[in-house]
Amino acid sequence: MDRELTIWLLIFAVGAITYTARLSFIALFARRDMPPLLAEALKHVPVAMLTAIVVPAVVFIGPGILRVDPGNAKLIAALVAGGVAWWKQSAVLTIAVGMGVLWSLRWLMG
Amino acid sequence: MRTHFSRTAFLEGIRDMAPMMLGVIPFGMVCGVGAITAGASPVAALAMSMIMFSGAAQIVATQLLVAGAPFAVILLSCLVVSLRLLMYSATMAPYLRPLDRRWRNLLSFVLTDQAFAGTLQRFKRSDDLRANASYFLGTGVLLWVTWQIATVAGIVAGQVIPASWQLEFVVPLCFLAVLVPLLRDRVSIVVFAVATVTVVALDAMPLRLSMICGGLLGIAAGIFGDKVMGKRG
Repeated sequence: MDRELTIWLLIFAVGAITYTARLSFIALFARRDMPPLLAEALKHVPVAMLTAIVVPAVVFIGPGILRVDPGNAKLIAALVAGGVAWWKQSAVLTIAVGMGVLWSLRWLMG
Repeated sequence: MRTHFSRTAFLEGIRDMAPMMLGVIPFGMVCGVGAITAGASPVAALAMSMIMFSGAAQIVATQLLVAGAPFAVILLSCLVVSLRLLMYSATMAPYLRPLDRRWRNLLSFVLTDQAFAGTLQRFKRSDDLRANASYFLGTGVLLWVTWQIATVAGIVAGQVIPASWQLEFVVPLCFLAVLVPLLRDRVSIVVFAVATVTVVALDAMPLRLSMICGGLLGIAAGIFGDKVMGKRG
């Protein structure tokens, strides 16, 4: 198949997939009640999913390279930024401190 | 319920999501560059960002195109990396339920990792549905528009932001700012621990399935934790 045509078909097909996934439960439970177990499970989605996204971005320094020691600048930066997030619930401050620590450590380590 | 637009809340959504853009821009540029590398025309590369509007799906699709994977395999892979959106959809469903259908359909389109993390606190904190929906729309519109601008920048200029700046680290830092304040009860700490161990242990899985598994096992641990340790307050 022609590459350009394939790409356009892919754009609409994947677009349909992402939109359907996004709309799925929002549309499904717009008119009916949610089963209690599902409602129970949903309380834990934010912590579970945010953890599953954040942790790998912090503890892996490259594909498949786990590094949990002070030599991992991202780990130190995330720990300090996490402390900031705990005391001051501010995204701006968390980013500023996190990136500041990351860049400083990079500079110090050469 | 009829929903009217609240301009104030819309602008608050834009303001609160703005810092995240530091991390979103380099990612959008990568997607623009990736689409061109995969043989897309500039128009198709932009359409990819406008319609798919998912960095994870776009990266997977373009990488598999370059690798010459069959069409069905690419679709299936994009479906797998979109599974987390189901969880976001389910979590937002009770909050969006009272809205009218047009609003639900519109807000669903801009439901991304970033919009989910960014609006969560707002929906938990406030009962003003009209303002919350407008706030959500503000975060979503800023993300969508920024995503297109970053894609165009990537198409036109290539990846001009040096990788050594590590700006992509802004995104996990934003999520951290939402995550950490949630870890105030024992059950949530158990969820965090189980998700952490799982996502690290299963890192070798393809298509970042480790993320879905980590999330699901974390949720299961949370349900179990609620039963054992009692309801959290």
